[in-house]
Amino acid sequence: MDWEFVREITPTILEGLSITLSLFAWSMVFSTIGGLVLALMRLSRIAPFRWFSAFYGWLLRGIPLLLILFYVFFALPEFGDAWTFPPFRSAVIGLSMWTAAYQSEAIRSGIISVDAGQFEAAEALGMTRFHYMRKIVLPQSVRIIVPPFTGNAINTMKQTSLATVITVPEMTLLAQRIIASEFKAVEPLFTLAIIFLILTTALVFAQAGVERAFRLKT
Amino acid sequence: MDDLDWGVVRRSWPILREATWTSIQLFFLSLVLATIVGLAVALMRMSSVRGVRWFAAIYIWIFRGLPALVILFFAFFWLGRELDLTPFQAAVLGLAASSGAYKAEIIRAGLLAVDRGQYEAAEALGFTKAHAMRKIILPQGVRVMVPNYMSNATLLFKSTSLAAVIGLTELTGRSRQLANSTFKPIEFLTAAGGIYLVLTSVLIVGQGFLERRFALKK
Repeated sequence: MDWEFVREITPTILEGLSITLSLFAWSMVFSTIGGLVLALMRLSRIAPFRWFSAFYGWLLRGIPLLLILFYVFFALPEFGDAWTFPPFRSAVIGLSMWTAAYQSEAIRSGIISVDAGQFEAAEALGMTRFHYMRKIVLPQSVRIIVPPFTGNAINTMKQTSLATVITVPEMTLLAQRIIASEFKAVEPLFTLAIIFLILTTALVFAQAGVERAFRLKT
Repeated sequence: MDDLDWGVVRRSWPILREATWTSIQLFFLSLVLATIVGLAVALMRMSSVRGVRWFAAIYIWIFRGLPALVILFFAFFWLGRELDLTPFQAAVLGLAASSGAYKAEIIRAGLLAVDRGQYEAAEALGFTKAHAMRKIILPQGVRVMVPNYMSNATLLFKSTSLAAVIGLTELTGRSRQLANSTFKPIEFLTAAGGIYLVLTSVLIVGQGFLERRFALKK
């Protein structure tokens, strides 16, 4: 391995770091909102909502993310200009839709873990369903939701690398360009791997921290 | 948008079928290899030799911390060139190395779930460690492993799509290629998505079957 070359290309690959991080951040924002909506729909009393949510989860979790990204980037534009998005936005749409399917399961399992007696108590106190969800269920279920939620987040961080296939200039694409132009693969891949390892390890520590913060005080 | 033309998909069916077969082969070979890697790493992780334990822990940390795509690039651009591998062989190795780290954690959790007393009883009966593992601990641990193992296998099946990025014409790569050459992205990407959904649904049904098969007889 040529360490001089590693030093030379590291700044180039790091230029993609901000795009990797904003892909991650935007996807987390949208997938959390989407996941919450899907989880509530899945628990709704209205049957078509439940069906839609179940169908969405089956669909998005049954297809590889790569194919979802291809669909957003290559197939959606066929439906017209309103459905044509630049690469970065396409990647955020694909990653968010995909992550939301997993987050909805994490959120749903947290919500159903709250004891049913609490619902009866809230009803007896005259709370509306919405109020009960927001004030009673969500604060208690967060503790259950956190571990699978952050696990999914770590996954999404890694999967931002797939955005390279729809030409988003994140770190993986920059590393691939170096491989193609310099005919050297080990050095750019090594740099790329170290950066990803730092990012995912940091998230694992953050996960432990968040879990501690939400632990029941005894 | 022009009218959808499903005839073009029908005419390309033999090509898609062959690509699907490539995906299935990729899946089975990397699943077998990942299971061997996972079992070995899980046993190393539980070894009484500290160096061996550390090696296994580092393996798991690295391969779970990196995007599968980056691991696949290492397998293709580095290992593939060093060992003169075909893209298919590189993809199998890359997928197995990545999935093996997850399998190791699943197998270890299963082995740890077996009651401590079983180890002690085996020891008291004069079983060697290897014999006890094979005849007493593993058969009991398998029951705990099945659900996680199978959902991980479903993930692995979807990950085979990553091989498209290193130029393999498995289902995702081939449908993208056909979409490109025929200007029919909706038709081909939908067809590929449908095939993935059928196959992942089969795996999920298989998971339910295996869980019943390994359930404790009442």
